[in-house]
Amino acid sequence: MPRASLAFLIGLLVLWQWLASSGLLPRYLTSPAVIAREFALLLQTGELFQHSAVSLYRSLAGLALGAGLGIGIGLAAGTSRRVAGFFEPLVSLTYPVPKVALLPILLVWFGISDTSKILLIAVSCFYPCYIAALYGVRAVDPIWIWASQNMGASPRQVFFKVIVPAAGVHIFGGLRVSLALAFILMVASELIGSSNRLGLGFLIINADAGGRFDIMFAAIVAIAILGFAADRLLLGLRKRWLAGYAVMEESAHA
Amino acid sequence: MRRAQRLITAGLSRLFPVVVALAAWEAVARSGAVNPRLFPGLGAIAQQLVFLLGSPQLGLHLGASLTRVVTGFALAIAIGIPLGILMSRVALFGRVIEPVFSFGYPVPRIALYPIAVFLFGIGHLSKVVLIALECLYPIAINTYYGVQNINRLYIWSAENMGASRADVIFKVMAPAAAPHVFSGLRIALPIAFIITVLTEMVSSTEGLGWMILYASASLVQARVFAGVAIVAAIGFVMDSLLAGLRNRLIFWEKEGLLVAMR
Repeated sequence: MPRASLAFLIGLLVLWQWLASSGLLPRYLTSPAVIAREFALLLQTGELFQHSAVSLYRSLAGLALGAGLGIGIGLAAGTSRRVAGFFEPLVSLTYPVPKVALLPILLVWFGISDTSKILLIAVSCFYPCYIAALYGVRAVDPIWIWASQNMGASPRQVFFKVIVPAAGVHIFGGLRVSLALAFILMVASELIGSSNRLGLGFLIINADAGGRFDIMFAAIVAIAILGFAADRLLLGLRKRWLAGYAVMEESAHA
Repeated sequence: MRRAQRLITAGLSRLFPVVVALAAWEAVARSGAVNPRLFPGLGAIAQQLVFLLGSPQLGLHLGASLTRVVTGFALAIAIGIPLGILMSRVALFGRVIEPVFSFGYPVPRIALYPIAVFLFGIGHLSKVVLIALECLYPIAINTYYGVQNINRLYIWSAENMGASRADVIFKVMAPAAAPHVFSGLRIALPIAFIITVLTEMVSSTEGLGWMILYASASLVQARVFAGVAIVAAIGFVMDSLLAGLRNRLIFWEKEGLLVAMR
């Protein structure tokens, strides 16, 4: 992060601290120092790790399920007109639907359990990955395919050694969107309810009910850190896997 | 005549997968393997849909939800587009604010909702603020890239041909950046609707999200599905309207892949 921007954010924090300690802010905007102390305390007791682990499990399991299906079906639809013809109308019809609306249905079917959260996240993560994989395959330069066929590559080799890596740039774009969605829906579904009383979203809503604004902000900070770290991890993976295909480096910092 | 016939057959063959999906649903519902209260058939859902469409309640919830979506979205446009332009044209904004957006992108803003409720109350305002905040990211970032990527040759040749500063801005830069800006809008609109339904489920006494959650809490699963169908239809119509507007305004360029949501 550039220094100017960092200085701006630190300035905001200092201003917040000063306003809070001079009593100008309402009580629910706890001062950064108090939040930091509570954050450290939650780390010490291990409570924060417990909630984070549960939240991460839900979001990553949902992401893996949704993204796996999305990329798989998307790649199939990109290579076969039949598959594309079947899924295209279904996807374009259901894509603009806010998938959170399914949460009450999943809650009735599976309870306020991990299953309903994971399924909701999976459904939402499916779309960006499916669309990205489909367009990724369609955007592959046909010359690469012809060239490899000319050199005697089998259809299998063409698929795994040419099409999949070439579509990788698009697929990672879809994965990144899905990752952000997974975190939004993880927090949201935990705000609505959590049966085992665990998860960062639950920590927020529970602290909210008890008027513990310091815990609330500590949980928000934890969510921000996890979301940021997961995104950087994905970007790192992309850099590694697409090392030879650094075609769209310009979107790396976006 | 022939053309019309071809169009109809093409439309029908496109609908085929949808029919298959609905038939599969009905088959599961009737198989007896599932409890019809939890997994209602299409008939029961249609019945509830008619009930909802005829009830005076729907207008209230629909009005509340649409007000929130439209206000939040409009607020995000009013702030996001100027901010994106400033980030790209003013060096200070580019260095200070742009990283806040690109680094803050993966942080789920929805976690701030309980705080927003304290700050702005449980009514419209807290939801509108959160919708605007979520939509601000794609709109500002896409505007930034749109303005950033304008081909300098266009500007130079316009200046060469004696275009005034206003002409350059409105006749060259605005159309050149418009496709990117619209991508941002098309990404943001479904997000606006998602956050609306979501915040209404977390805490509200009106709106489509609340209506669905209420039907769920009353264990009328068929009504929940009918509510979801209404939400789905509205999401679809809003997206189609925006896509139509985009294609009318930006007739010279086909829409690219929207998943590049940055």
